[in-house]
Amino acid sequence: MNSFLTAFFSGTAQGAIYALVSLGLVLVWRGAGVVNFAQMGQAMFTTYIASQMIQHNNSYWSAFVVALICGALLGALVDLAIMRPLTSRKNSQLLNSQSMRTTIPVIASLGILGVLKALAGILWAGEERGFPSPVAPNAIKIGSTNLAITGFDLFVIGVVFAALVLTTIFFTKTGMGLAMRASALNPEVTRLSGIRVGSVRTLGWAISGTASSLAGLLVTPRTNLSPNTLDLLLIVGFTAAVVGGLSSLAGSVLGGFILGYVISFVNVYSAPENVFIAILVFLLLALFLRPQGILGSKEVRRV
Amino acid sequence: MLAIKNLTTEFASVKALNGISFQAKPGLITTVIGANGAGKSTLLRTISGLEKATSGSIKWFDEELTQMSVESIVRSGIAQVPEGHAVISQLSVAENIELGGLFRKRIARGDLAIATKEVYELFPILYERRNEQAGSLSGGERQMLAISRALVSRPKLLLLDEPSLGLAPLISAQIISIVNGLCRETGLTVLLVEQNANTALAVADHGILLALGEVAADMPASEMAADSALRAAYLGY
Repeated sequence: MNSFLTAFFSGTAQGAIYALVSLGLVLVWRGAGVVNFAQMGQAMFTTYIASQMIQHNNSYWSAFVVALICGALLGALVDLAIMRPLTSRKNSQLLNSQSMRTTIPVIASLGILGVLKALAGILWAGEERGFPSPVAPNAIKIGSTNLAITGFDLFVIGVVFAALVLTTIFFTKTGMGLAMRASALNPEVTRLSGIRVGSVRTLGWAISGTASSLAGLLVTPRTNLSPNTLDLLLIVGFTAAVVGGLSSLAGSVLGGFILGYVISFVNVYSAPENVFIAILVFLLLALFLRPQGILGSKEVRRV
Repeated sequence: MLAIKNLTTEFASVKALNGISFQAKPGLITTVIGANGAGKSTLLRTISGLEKATSGSIKWFDEELTQMSVESIVRSGIAQVPEGHAVISQLSVAENIELGGLFRKRIARGDLAIATKEVYELFPILYERRNEQAGSLSGGERQMLAISRALVSRPKLLLLDEPSLGLAPLISAQIISIVNGLCRETGLTVLLVEQNANTALAVADHGILLALGEVAADMPASEMAADSALRAAYLGY
């Protein structure tokens, strides 16, 4: 029983982080039609910024907030400085075909990832360093019995839950949230409603940057920080996004949690070296049974 | 007044519009009719900025529209209802309407509420179904919703692209008559593109006949409706 609870709680905490990564990917995919491979590179970079601040005797929380803000700015910068100029040159011969228009931004995101990794290596050296957490990673005790959940798990779950509630309120209750959903669904009708779709898209990149930056802050106390640490997180997050349905925000979050459980249960009941096989099998199974994703919708074409 | 001068729009060197000129007077309905491929939709899409004009000018009073972005054109009071009952089917009816007025939220919140109430009064069925997904509406209701989305932006000029396309005659007559009423009561200027010449000419003040991207006739709607030789030559009936 105790090992079940341990797997469950640690799966929830890990799943919460995957949910953030997956949410970030889906936000950009829906808004801009780009799979952003640089996403966790951006998160790695902002986590380094937080780490530097903490080393220079700033408090954890001020570093936390600065990292999130940098995440938003970096996300917006990627769109404004690279993606927008790349996709808006209508006259370029390269961009005449649809396949090139969709491929070029993805290749560019790989380029950005490379640049960010190199830059982090130059600025902060390549070796691993630890990253602190504001709560102790010990199991919570009631009296003398150890509960199956650690304080750190609880912290991660709490922060992600708050972030998801805020995101939900933003998308369902605010005008800007409506504008973002509308421009992802039908950019032409949205433009004809007087909404600046380009700016809305940049905001999507910024929110995605914030979400992944948060994921970076929450995962590194366990994994340590190096320019390559977060690569794995991108793979799992991407799998979660595909499992949930690339077009659905709720699906991406759900996919994240499901993957968290898959990984955590395999870890506890099988062996850690089987985790990647399990992810692959799970992905294939999900694609086979529900290729559009758990909450994704099939593309309907009117004739 | 909408004044179009020598307007040419090319797609990969095919001229969809070939140097057309005409004017649409404020507060009146001007209809643009013509066969399939005459350039009617291209004309509306060029006015609203969705297509870039190759040359020529489009003036709405003193504003030159050809260099403006779609969003700025909408914000200056020109709303387009695109072809095919363009609503966002995954959003609710109320959200589609809200979307149309979103850019005015900060500048005219009070008036936005009034405008929303007005479109619900105009189309009570939309009020009844306001919480349903727009995709569940019938074709006629979707067209009403597309028009409502345009109206909450309080346009001065309404561009309607084939509102009767695919609708039962009774429904399309109802929609056209509501547009006609709006124009007469509020002084809205309407540019109505239609393939169904009879319906359009019956309510319009002025008619423009497009043929292969050029203006073939420009005359009062009543005269155009009566000119059977013109109709036989260009519309085939």
